[in-house]
Amino acid sequence: MTTLLPRSTPREAARLTLTLLRRRRLDVALTAGLYVLVGLAGLVAPWQLGAVVDTVAEGGSRDDVVRSALWILGAGVVVMVGTALATGRLARAGEPALAELREQALDRALHLDGATVEQAGSGDLLSRVGDDVRLVAQSLTEVVPLLVGSALAIVLTAGGLFALDWRLGLAGLLTAPAYVRALRWYLPRSAPLYQREREANGVRAQAFLTGVHGSRTLRAHGLSAAHQEQVDAASWASARISLDVVGFFTRFGLRLNRAELVGLLLVLVAGFLLVRAGEASVGEVTAAGLYFHRLFNPIGAVLFLFDAAQSAGASLTRLAGLALLPARVPPHGTRAGTDTTLEVRDLTHEYAEGRPAVDGVSLRVPAGQRVAVVGASGAGKTTLGSVVAGRLAPTRGEVLVGGLPADRVVAPGRAGRPTVALVSQEVHVFTGSVRDNLTLAHPGAEEAEVVDALDAVGALGWVRALPEALDTAVGASAHPLTPAQAQQLALARVVLADPLVVVLDEATAEAGSAGARDLEAAALAVTRGRTSLTIAHRLTQAASADRVVVMAAGRVVEDGPHDDLVAAGGPYARLWAAWSGTEPAPPAQL
Amino acid sequence: MPTTSAPAPATGGALLRRALRRNAPRLGGASALIAVWQVCEAMVPVMIGVVVDRAVATGSWSALALWGGVLCALFATLAFSYRGGAIVGEGALQREGHRLRTEVSGHLLDPRGARADQVPGDLLAVATGDADQAAAVLRQAWFAVAAVAGFAVTAVVLARIDLVLTLVVLVGVPVALLVNHLLAGPLTRRSAVRQEALGRATGIATDLVTGLRPLKGIGAEDVALARYRRESHRAAEASVAAARWEGLLYGATQGLSGVVLVVVALVAGSRALDGALSIGELIAVVGLAQFVAEPLQTLAYFVAQLAQSRASADRLVTVLATPRLLLAGEAEATGPADLALHDVHSGTLRGVDLRAAPGELVAVVAEDPADAAALVRLLRGELRPDRGEVRLGGTPLTDLTLAETRRLLLVADHQVDLFEGTLRSNVDPGGRLDDERLAAVLVASAADEVVAHCAGGLEEPVTVGGTTLSGGQRQRVGLARALAAPAPVLVLHDPTTAVDAATEHRIAAALVAERHPGDQGAAAATSAAPTTLLLTSSPVLLARAHRVVHLDAGRVRATGTHAQLVRDDSAYREAVLR
Repeated sequence: MTTLLPRSTPREAARLTLTLLRRRRLDVALTAGLYVLVGLAGLVAPWQLGAVVDTVAEGGSRDDVVRSALWILGAGVVVMVGTALATGRLARAGEPALAELREQALDRALHLDGATVEQAGSGDLLSRVGDDVRLVAQSLTEVVPLLVGSALAIVLTAGGLFALDWRLGLAGLLTAPAYVRALRWYLPRSAPLYQREREANGVRAQAFLTGVHGSRTLRAHGLSAAHQEQVDAASWASARISLDVVGFFTRFGLRLNRAELVGLLLVLVAGFLLVRAGEASVGEVTAAGLYFHRLFNPIGAVLFLFDAAQSAGASLTRLAGLALLPARVPPHGTRAGTDTTLEVRDLTHEYAEGRPAVDGVSLRVPAGQRVAVVGASGAGKTTLGSVVAGRLAPTRGEVLVGGLPADRVVAPGRAGRPTVALVSQEVHVFTGSVRDNLTLAHPGAEEAEVVDALDAVGALGWVRALPEALDTAVGASAHPLTPAQAQQLALARVVLADPLVVVLDEATAEAGSAGARDLEAAALAVTRGRTSLTIAHRLTQAASADRVVVMAAGRVVEDGPHDDLVAAGGPYARLWAAWSGTEPAPPAQL
Repeated sequence: MPTTSAPAPATGGALLRRALRRNAPRLGGASALIAVWQVCEAMVPVMIGVVVDRAVATGSWSALALWGGVLCALFATLAFSYRGGAIVGEGALQREGHRLRTEVSGHLLDPRGARADQVPGDLLAVATGDADQAAAVLRQAWFAVAAVAGFAVTAVVLARIDLVLTLVVLVGVPVALLVNHLLAGPLTRRSAVRQEALGRATGIATDLVTGLRPLKGIGAEDVALARYRRESHRAAEASVAAARWEGLLYGATQGLSGVVLVVVALVAGSRALDGALSIGELIAVVGLAQFVAEPLQTLAYFVAQLAQSRASADRLVTVLATPRLLLAGEAEATGPADLALHDVHSGTLRGVDLRAAPGELVAVVAEDPADAAALVRLLRGELRPDRGEVRLGGTPLTDLTLAETRRLLLVADHQVDLFEGTLRSNVDPGGRLDDERLAAVLVASAADEVVAHCAGGLEEPVTVGGTTLSGGQRQRVGLARALAAPAPVLVLHDPTTAVDAATEHRIAAALVAERHPGDQGAAAATSAAPTTLLLTSSPVLLARAHRVVHLDAGRVRATGTHAQLVRDDSAYREAVLR
């Protein structure tokens, strides 16, 4: 599936990074200065060791040796203090900038409009706010300091070689093509290989998780052994690729070793010739040899970090793509609505052109009325609910609350009170305490309000029975809740949010039979005295509504109170007979 | 790769020892090759000194050719020994990781199951991360051997050059590393705080995006964002605090190696002035002094890693030690395929009697979901009742062999698990059905509508978990699979909660036509007729049952047909119709 979420270009990502860093200009400048200082001080030791060699070769005095030692000592102190300060300073510049970036990205992610989320799917979004943020953060602490330090060490050491003698510097520089060749061999091969490794690990994880999640079914059908073979095969496939990676990596290592040897020989031979010609001292050649040996680690680090830097860069463009989306402009609310009448006017929604899922529906729900929408699967009920709740933009027609376009109405009372709330079958328990789950809907809610909301949906009993009552941690890998309990929390959230209009879309469906009864009671509590559309699955919900709307093929085919419709003997009466199961009725033809 | 049949190791230590033992030959090879590499690395600065001393200082071409050639040989040896060692060693490591992973998944996916109560994500972490980390004990072993060899060779070479300097280096470097190690403690703690804070912030972000639709449903985006901002800020602060310590540690590392270098330069320079050292030896000593920290650091690093491998091995052992989930014995069924509960006490059940004879369709309405759950656990064979017994085909269920239970009984859960493949492979995973049978079960479950709705028909691809299908579609495919299974006794738990009323009605009629054709109930049935137990409160399904059993507070409070009970029993009416 193609993604609808944009990625930024590397240039845009870089510009965004600069913008974020510009606000921390002083820290950035200090970091840069400190790194240069450390790099320069690092050159002192080989240079002075060369001087010691010269002192020995030319028969100098002990004082010369002591002076060299003091130089090395001084440089060591600078390196020590500078490294300590630079590392901390880099974090002070980078970490808040990164925090700002990830917050901006999540802001845009949460405010994406419903249709985009539906189409793009949540997978891409999840990996951006999860994996990409993790990767960029990790590279800021692990890759960036090492990369900056190593790159500077390389540049400065090369400078050091030139300072000794330009011909020694040139000899060292001649190694560059060997390194470049190694890198050009490595890069085009590494990314696909790592991609294969990641994919194989993904397949492996998926096979394992499928087995664990579905172990009950696999056991019941005698399929466990067959699935174990799948897991085994996926694990071995990923092990094989990891071995390919090792083989590849060590081949790259061979190329680097070759470049190191060539460079070292070039420097030593150049030194040999210069000393023979009387143009350089033995000490200088010693220093040059040590300089070059000192380059092995930083060059290796830069080359091996290339991949990490590349993938962090890719993550950054994905994050920036999200963060650079335009900020949502809060709707300039027309006015505070007090009339909560819901009106749907000639509403049509087409997922594909010419194939309306909702086809010219008009509907008026007077303030405070409870309307149930029923019909077979595919009748357009959910689409109608989604459009009314503002999750989908209608192809034609409009949704009004109190006579005004629903998306322009600002609910009276506290800020953030929603105009239309929607609860669907999709249950989610947010990570955090039970209280956190509820106050999402109304952050300033008092304890008593939270308790009342739980009481209203019939959840107070079991919440009080939890290990730490309202403060019990729930959600992923914390205290597990049943789907019915999770849905009760969702309904309690609506009580706290106190919207003008509420849409419940089969909010009681997945709970199983006994749980469904509790949820229906909860749904009744949520809709009491509130303008509401309940997309009903169990017809008991329709029976308890003020009015029932029957949909078929995107249109409203019946509309009226339960008793009237049952008496009328139309589609709803047939549905009801089938549902209650007490009378032999033909399957409803809807 | 075959799974091992030997018992799993009892402790993490034993698991690691087994890993070392069963990979001994490859481990030996890898250790030897990596040790050669480590020693060669130590020799590089020595060789630089030799080239300067013998060739550069003398201006001899032949010396340059000779020692240049030796340098080439040294590089060739170090490069190829590393590559060889890595390939041999990592090969063993990957194999060991794979064997451990297979052991874990084999334990969890055993036909009798495992009572592992960790969430799937944690089990995945054990099967992947922990299996790899435990296998990494091999890498620790070969690097430790190489580090000791490298250190020893350095010591010997230094001792041959100068004893005083040897003492300076061999005492100074370990002391420097020790100081470093002491500083690393607080850093580790702060890094853990950073990891945790970052993990929490990321967890919140992914959690919010996962719940994005419910979140948008109540317009709570901004509240949620404020929560994330708070955690994100905390993570940034924790990162800065950790970086400060990191800086101190890096600085100290550099500073301490600088101090050792100063002392060595001072002592070696003086002794060279005295003529006790040649220029080549001076360079070699300086090079070795810098190098000697490397094997020691390697050693320290891998000792720390060993603790982690040990912790991983402990987690593996914990999972591998979880007992089997299903109880089974050695017996075969003695009678026709029926299901009978006598005075069963288990969980919330307080003395339940229930019988489903061949040919019968019995429905159970459980007032409390916990009663239904307890009943299903018993029927799955996960536990024995505290009192009373559950018999299948005349024999206590948990005394039957697993194969016999599976031959006779299928318990289809409310929660439907679909697997990657096609609609066909999900409905008929064994590939046992002919087209006619397949069509029949599809009709009986109304899954024929699902097939008709999909462009690919029966070959329509199904993703893991069936995420491209709606809840109602998944449920129907699951029901078709249950009906397709050959077991004569079928238990269905809430099979139609996610389908609409019209479809549910169709399923009820077709299901009965499929399992109980020409239906007269148990009286007219042969002993080979199928038995169905339905746990449901759907009036549509209940109306089709031969008998309905109403459970309340762990007991049977009423039995009869749906029509009788609806007419005569107000509590029943309240439960199913309201």
